Amino acid sequence: MKKQIRMWMLLIAALLALSACTAVQPTGQQPGAASAEGSGKLAQIKAAGKIVVGTSADYPPYESIDADGNFVGFDMDLIRAIGERLGVEVEIVDMPFDSLIAAVQEGKIDAVIAAMQATAERDEKVDFTIPYRMTKDAFAAAQDSTLVMEKPEDAAGHSIGVQTGTVQERWVQDNLVATGLTPADLVFSYERADQAALDVANGRIELLLMDAEPAMELAKQTGLKILLITESTAEGGKSIAIPEGADDLKAELDRIIQEMLDDGTIQKIQEAHGLP
Amino acid sequence: MEFFQNLVTTFNFILQGVWVTIGVTAVALAVGLVFGVTMAMARVYGNPFLQTVAAIYSVIVRAVPVVVIIFILFFVIARFVNLSPFWAGSLALGFASGAYQSEIFRGAFRAVPPGQMIAARAIGMSKLQAIQSIILPQAARLALPAWGNEATLVLKDSTLVFVVGVPEILRRAQQVSARTLEPFLAFSVAMLLYLVLTLLTTQILQWFERRYRLQM
Repeated sequence: MKKQIRMWMLLIAALLALSACTAVQPTGQQPGAASAEGSGKLAQIKAAGKIVVGTSADYPPYESIDADGNFVGFDMDLIRAIGERLGVEVEIVDMPFDSLIAAVQEGKIDAVIAAMQATAERDEKVDFTIPYRMTKDAFAAAQDSTLVMEKPEDAAGHSIGVQTGTVQERWVQDNLVATGLTPADLVFSYERADQAALDVANGRIELLLMDAEPAMELAKQTGLKILLITESTAEGGKSIAIPEGADDLKAELDRIIQEMLDDGTIQKIQEAHGLP
Repeated sequence: MEFFQNLVTTFNFILQGVWVTIGVTAVALAVGLVFGVTMAMARVYGNPFLQTVAAIYSVIVRAVPVVVIIFILFFVIARFVNLSPFWAGSLALGFASGAYQSEIFRGAFRAVPPGQMIAARAIGMSKLQAIQSIILPQAARLALPAWGNEATLVLKDSTLVFVVGVPEILRRAQQVSARTLEPFLAFSVAMLLYLVLTLLTTQILQWFERRYRLQM
């Protein structure tokens, strides 16, 4: 009898140990559980006096960590300015980029600012504010190129390199090749943008069209010059991700972002971080 | 000169992650030890039901990548219990390590001649008493070398908790390499720190092995 009781106690101990990690202990405060309801997210943030924002601090000049451990970059300054207008403190949490959407879904964080584009797949999982910064593309050419570009269509008739599967490649196909401005055999698709940059530098092709910021970095490394930076070839922009259904938060953030776009605040922060 | 300045800044920055790594490893090893010993006891000396429970735990947890367990604990369980990234990561790592440790202790328990258990029972000890005062002291010594190996594995697996945002050595190395664009320097520093930590761990465990060696 005694032996059996011992065994049962052992069993219960083992089960307890097993379930220690899986036990559901509803607690009074559930900052995480509210993500599903959404309504009142803004009120929650205001009541807490702070908004917890996730980022992936490995993408300068948007977000990185300086030698003293502070979060710095365009996104960081922007979210702090937004927090000021919201009237709450901003707490920034660093996570790998791939974990951010899950974290906002599970209510671990209130929002994500990480140079993130509102793609269709992401939009199914979370909501996005209006873009705070449009994606820009750059046309780059060799240092000794005599080409002058004022609009994207000025690329017509010149050999051009793009990265396979990108929006830039589609833009070239739709707007230059399909319209007959550039013969199809003058368009070169590369596996990687830096390979295209090398071919431009070596004079095998005349132009390169790609995302503006990496283009500027590449141009510095391979000695290219940027002919034109434009929004019209790019699609969409960078938005802040928030929990799905947090409509009040979205409305308020949209309003603040629009305000900052209109009064030039965002422009100023962009320039401070050397962004085109 | 500039190189040394970079090295010092990089080193100081990543160094702050060392305590996090040590914390995660210590919690995970302790949690894993509790799970491991309990499950090994259930496996070797438990009734058929307990044996099955322990076997299922061992098989399933060892089949699932640790990073998946961390994700589940942080993102699913934390819906109900608000665990910080540090605790979610450490507990998940400990839960996973427990399965491996249970195999280590199962082997150690089996290595103690079964006659000792029978003899202990014959003089009126209960099963638990016998395990506690006869089997476990011997099994723990037998388990120590393999356990030391597991400890270094857990130390290196502690890098996985960065997926939920714990700023341990590896994550800090990534952050610094993103800023300075010198991945080689950043990850060399990380490698050096892991090397030091691993050597330290093995030294401590070897001291334990010598200290508690059975005098035959």
